[in-house]
Amino acid sequence: MTLWLWIIGGLYLAALVYATIHSKQRTQSADDYVLAGSNVGLFLGFLTFSATVFSTFTLMGMPDFFRTHGVGAWIFLAVSDGGMVFLILALGLYLRRRVAEKGFKGMSGLLAECYGQRWGGYVYFAGAFLFLVPYIAIQIRGIGIFLEGAFPGMLPFWGWATLIVVVMLIYSEIGGLKAIIFSDAMQGLLLMTVTWIVALGCVRYFGGVGAMFEQVGQVNEALLSTPGPNGLFSVQFLVASFFAILMYPFTQPQVAVRIVIMKDGASTRRMAVAVGVFAVMLIMATIPIGMYGAVRYADLSVSDFLVNVLMFDQAPIIGAAVAVGLIAAAMSTADSQIFALGAEVRSLISGTERAVMLRTKLAIVFFAVAALVFAVLSNDQLVLLARVSFAGTAMLGPLVLAGILSKTPPGVEVIVVTALGVVVFGISSLGVIPASVGAVRMDLLLFAVLGVFTLGSVLYRNRRA
Amino acid sequence: MQNKKTLYWRLCCGAMVVLSVLTFTPLVIPAGRYEPMLAGVPLTLWAGIAIAVAMVALTLVGTYVHPDSGE
Repeated sequence: MTLWLWIIGGLYLAALVYATIHSKQRTQSADDYVLAGSNVGLFLGFLTFSATVFSTFTLMGMPDFFRTHGVGAWIFLAVSDGGMVFLILALGLYLRRRVAEKGFKGMSGLLAECYGQRWGGYVYFAGAFLFLVPYIAIQIRGIGIFLEGAFPGMLPFWGWATLIVVVMLIYSEIGGLKAIIFSDAMQGLLLMTVTWIVALGCVRYFGGVGAMFEQVGQVNEALLSTPGPNGLFSVQFLVASFFAILMYPFTQPQVAVRIVIMKDGASTRRMAVAVGVFAVMLIMATIPIGMYGAVRYADLSVSDFLVNVLMFDQAPIIGAAVAVGLIAAAMSTADSQIFALGAEVRSLISGTERAVMLRTKLAIVFFAVAALVFAVLSNDQLVLLARVSFAGTAMLGPLVLAGILSKTPPGVEVIVVTALGVVVFGISSLGVIPASVGAVRMDLLLFAVLGVFTLGSVLYRNRRA
Repeated sequence: MQNKKTLYWRLCCGAMVVLSVLTFTPLVIPAGRYEPMLAGVPLTLWAGIAIAVAMVALTLVGTYVHPDSGE
């Protein structure tokens, strides 16, 4: 396998170097660097969007989720993604219209413009920073624990994590968003291919799909229905997750920017469909991998299960391709997030282009270091940490939608209530205050309160205008 | 023509809401029950797959009937 790893890894690295140099040569301005010229077509657009959304947490977290919590994982992510792509179609147009009207350097800057006050942008940036750093960290942690398990004794977990962050920073800082988009495209294709190869191998192991679920039922019948063996997939959990993921394209800056940089409305709409197809196909492939784990590796730790199913049970060339695919997946999602946070800083500061770019690049390094530290300190529950990130940034949903959709600038009360919502969700996630109020989950309650309050405020102000 | 597009777009949005609500009812996620199975696939999974595919299909239809699709 080591030989294949060098060959496939070498090819991937060579492609990455080429993409970085090519992007650097074609970057003429700061907007080119940060927004890739805002002229991305359907193919690259859907691959960069998909690679940004579906990453380590999909290929590593979802099989583990199916293995541990059962088939409800499909409702948790795939159905939610089905709703998400429809919302891109429905609301992407309004986001692009606002961008055409106000200009775009980042979502924070856009919201500051829409609200007519910088605090709209500051609150968005603070929420995005607070809840994106854990999400970036799980990409880095995920690949770190996988590589530590796959190559015992070569490097400690933190060594792998640091190496990944350094490579990522080099090509992001040099090539900008264009280099990231090319790396996303390579990763998206590689991720889909290797996931399906592994999945088909898992189905073959059982002798068919029906036999697979029969054996899973014999091992643990609770995996075949909700709420699953540990009771995770309650109706409230699934509904709250649905809303959190629905808001994702508008509340997470690395995703929102990919709607904005599409070359026209038609490409954006087709991109939404392509992402939906990609999501269904990719998540479907993680089901047999998880079910295989439930039967063969039910008692193993997350990293041992993943290393076995993704590498040691595969032919050497596939195992090597999986390892490279995972590294690529982790890097492509994490670099997009770190870069997007840098772009958000850029959208909130002013000065000469040279000074602004310098601060943006320094901010990118700062966010990478913050994510690395969090990755070393966090736990192995990749999907649950990702969900906290989705839910946390979803608290910004009403603020963002009001900014994009309202005919008149929304009021300061929306900013204040959103900031309070983010703080309350943050301290509830840390366990400082209860995670539910009575029988209602805190995230669900906050979504409802923020949504109703923002809607009321916008309707009132539009009527008075 | 634009009126028809708007109507079809609204129907798409309505269907999306119905599918979303349906997902969280006992029709799709009955607690602790996995039958009837379809081709050996448990109820929640096959119904969930049908809903996710239907949502993507609605998105595809929506690209043609979206009020902005002619622009």
